[in-house]
Amino acid sequence: MAENRIETSEKDIKQYIVARIGNEKYGVDIGYIDNIVRMQKITRVPKSQAYFKGIINLRGEIVPVMSIRTKMGLEDDVFTNATRIIILKIEEKGSLGIIVDEVCEVVTLTSEQIDPVGNDAKNTKDTFINGIGKNGDSLISLFEINAIIEEKEQ
Amino acid sequence: MDVSQYLEIFIDESAEHLQTLSDCIMTLENEPDNKDTINEVFRAAHSLKGMAGTMGFKRMQHLTHDMENVFQEVRSDKIKVDSSMIDLLFECLDAIEGYLDNIKATSDEGTEDNEIIIKSLNDFIAKANGQAVSEAPKTQEEEKAAAPESKSGGESENYSDIELTDSEQKAIAEAKTAGNKVYGLTVFIQKECLLKAARAFLVFRAVEEFGQILVYRPSSQDIEDERFDLDFSIYISSAESLDKIIAAAKNVSEIENVVGGEIQTVQAPVEEKAVEEKQEVAAKTETAPAQTAAATGKAPAAKKAPAGKPATNRTVRVDIEKLDALMNQVSELIIAKNSLVSISSSEGGSFASQSFHDQIEYLERITTNLHESVMKVRMVPIESVVNKFPRMIRDLSRTLNKKMELVMTGEDTELDRTVVDQIGDPLQHLLRNSADHGLEDAALRAERGKPETGTITLNAYQEGNNVIIQVGDDGNGIDTEAVKSKAIERGIVTAEQADAMSQKEIVNLLFLPSFSMAKKITDISGRGVGLDVVKSNIEQLGGDVEVTTKMGVGSLFTVRLPLTLAIIQALMVEIRDEKYAIALGSIETIEDVPISDIKYVQANEVINLRGKVIPLIRLDRILDIEPMEQEPENLIVVIVKRGDNFAGLVVDNLMGQQEIVIKSLGKYINGNKLISGATILGDGEVALILDVNTLM
Repeated sequence: MAENRIETSEKDIKQYIVARIGNEKYGVDIGYIDNIVRMQKITRVPKSQAYFKGIINLRGEIVPVMSIRTKMGLEDDVFTNATRIIILKIEEKGSLGIIVDEVCEVVTLTSEQIDPVGNDAKNTKDTFINGIGKNGDSLISLFEINAIIEEKEQ
Repeated sequence: MDVSQYLEIFIDESAEHLQTLSDCIMTLENEPDNKDTINEVFRAAHSLKGMAGTMGFKRMQHLTHDMENVFQEVRSDKIKVDSSMIDLLFECLDAIEGYLDNIKATSDEGTEDNEIIIKSLNDFIAKANGQAVSEAPKTQEEEKAAAPESKSGGESENYSDIELTDSEQKAIAEAKTAGNKVYGLTVFIQKECLLKAARAFLVFRAVEEFGQILVYRPSSQDIEDERFDLDFSIYISSAESLDKIIAAAKNVSEIENVVGGEIQTVQAPVEEKAVEEKQEVAAKTETAPAQTAAATGKAPAAKKAPAGKPATNRTVRVDIEKLDALMNQVSELIIAKNSLVSISSSEGGSFASQSFHDQIEYLERITTNLHESVMKVRMVPIESVVNKFPRMIRDLSRTLNKKMELVMTGEDTELDRTVVDQIGDPLQHLLRNSADHGLEDAALRAERGKPETGTITLNAYQEGNNVIIQVGDDGNGIDTEAVKSKAIERGIVTAEQADAMSQKEIVNLLFLPSFSMAKKITDISGRGVGLDVVKSNIEQLGGDVEVTTKMGVGSLFTVRLPLTLAIIQALMVEIRDEKYAIALGSIETIEDVPISDIKYVQANEVINLRGKVIPLIRLDRILDIEPMEQEPENLIVVIVKRGDNFAGLVVDNLMGQQEIVIKSLGKYINGNKLISGATILGDGEVALILDVNTLM
C-alpha cells in the first residue's frame, strides 16, 4: 500500500514557482524555468510587438523580455525592488523572460489540488491559464506556457 | 557490418568524387586525349565504386562499376571519347546523384536500377571489344576473365615496373651479393574479398618463410590500412625457387592469382657490403612508407588506380557546429575584452597605470587576431558552389539550343561557410537568366556582329570587407522600354512616374516581386519567381545586388556579400539615451550639418553635400524615440550608402568605433526589419544594430 501511494504521488506531483502580479498569484511550472533574475536595464526594440519590453543581456545571451501584464491586458508594470524577470527555457524558440511583480515561493501541488480551467472562458486573461491551484487558503492561477509564448493577435 | 556511422562521410566524399568526375568529364569533352584527366576520372569512379560497395549500396556500386569499366577501356585506348559518350557519362552522374539523394533522404539507395544506362555503358565496352551488343552479365564475366589474362600478358607492368628508391635498390643489391635471388611478385586478391589487408598479411607471412621482403608496393603501411586495389607487389630475397614461393602465396585463401619473376638487374651501384645487413634492410623497409607518396606519384602505371588519394591536402574535416561553437567563444572573449577596455577608459583613476593599458592593448590585438583566424577557418572557397555551373551551362546550351560558354574567374575567393551555402541558388538563377534572357539566338547575334558563341562570365573577387561576385553576359541587355511598359501595364508605376524614372530605377523594377520579363515561360526561367527572390536571398545574407546593362551589349549583375556574418566593425551612435550600431562597411562619411542647410524636396528633408543631394533620415522618428525638446543648431549626420544610393542618418551623438558581435534577437520579436540584430557592449548593456539596407 505504502509503495503504491508513493508511486501515484510521484506521478501527480508538480512544482510551481509562485509569482505575484498585481494582487493575484500565478504559478509557473518549474520545468520551464531556467532562471530568475533581478530587474535590469531592458533595451527597447523599436517596432516590436507592444508586449515585448525589449531585450536583456543574460550572461552574454540576448533574451527577449515580455510584459505579461501588457499581454494579459492589465495595467503597465511598475518596477520595484521586488520585480523579477523569470527566464523560461522553451525548447524550439529559445529563452524568454517574463516580468513579475514579485517571486513568492515554490509550491508542490498534486493533481487533486488543481482545478482545470476550460479554454472557453471569454476573458482574455483566462486563456493564459490552464488551472487553478489550491495551496491552503490561497489560490494560484497556473500559467499555460504555450499560450504565453504564442503570438497574440491584435 | 554496421556502416551507418560512416554514412555522413560517405555522402560527403561521394559528392566530392561526383564533382571531380563532372569536372573531369567536362575537361575530357574538350580534350579527349588528356591522359591525366582520364586517370583522374578512373580513380574517382573507382573510389566511388569501392565506397558504395562497402556501404552495401549494390545498385550504385553496379552502376559505378560499369562506368569504371568504360573508363578502363578509355584508358587503354580501346575507346575514344566522343560526345555521345560524354552525354551518357553525364546521365550516369545524374543517376548516381539520384542514388546519393535517396541515401541522404532515407539512408537507402532506392530501387532504381538504371538498367538503360548500364546497358548503354556495356554497349560502349562491347563496341570497343569489337563484339556485338551484349548483355551486362557477360561483360562482367569478361572483365573477370580479362583480368588474369592481362596479368599474364601485362603482369610485367606490375612488379617489374616498380620504381625503386635508392635505399630499396641498395637493399636488393645487398641481398644479391649475399647470394640470394630477388624475385618480384604481384599478388591479385579476389574481387569479393572483404579483408584484403588480412589476406595480404597472410601472403606476407607465407612468403617470409622463404626469405626477406625487400620492397612493398603500395607501402606496407598502405597495405595494412587496405589502401590498395585488388593487387599489390612485393620484392623478396630468397634462396628458394620462385615456384615454391608463388605456391605458398597462392595457398592463402581468396587469392586470385600470383605472378612473379626474378629480378635480374639492379641499377643502383653497390656501395658497401654491410655486416649488419639485416638491420639495415629492416630500417629501409620502414622508411618505405614515408616515400610512398613520392613513389606512387612517380609510378602510376605500377598500380591499378591507388585507392586512396596519393597527394591529399593536409586538411581536417570539422563539423561546422564545432566551428560555430568556437566562433561563439571568440565572441564571448571579445565581449569580455570590450568590457575591460571600457573599464580602463572610464575608471581612469585606479586603473590608469601605463602597463595596464599596454596589456589591454595587447589583449585587443590578440583577440582581433584570434577572431580573424577563426574566421579564416570558417572560410571556404566559393569553388564548391560555382563548380557545378559549367555543367549547368552546358546542359542549358543544349536545351536552349544556343551556343554559349561560361568563363569563371576567382573561384578561389573565400567566403564564410554559411554564406557560401546559401549563395548557390541566387547565382544559379542569375546564370540561368543570362543564358535564357540575356543571350540572343544565333541569328540575332550574327546580325549584331557578335561571335556565334555567347559568353557568360562569373567573376568573383574580394573588395575590402566584401566579396563581389559578378555575373555577366554579352547578350541582349535589358530592354528598359519593355520593362517600363510592363511595369505600367501591371500597375506597378503610372506612366508619369515611369517617365520620370532614371534608367537605373527602371532596371531596378526587375527586382520587384513577380516581375518576370520572360516573354514565354520556359523550363529555365520566367516563372515570375525571378530576381526578387535572388534579391531577397542576397539581402538575407547582408548583401545586395545591382545590375548595369546596355541594350544590345549585355548585362552585368553585381552581387556584394559581407565576408562574415558574426563579428563586424561598427560605429556606435546615441539617439537620446538609446545606443545603436551601424556597420562601418556601409558608412561613407560623417558630417556636421547646420539646420539651415536642410532643404526640402517633395516635402522630404535633403541636404546638398558637395553637389550630391542626399535624403535625411531622422532616426528618432523612425525608431519611435521621444522627440527632442529643442533641436540643436547642428545635426550630426552619418552618411551611409547602399550601392550607389546615399542617405544621411541623423543621430545625437557619436560614441566611436567598436568591434561588435552580432547576436540574433531570437524568434519571439518579429516584424522588425529595421533592426538586424543586437550586440552586447563592454559594460554589459545591449545595443541594437541598424540595418542600413532597409532604412533606405
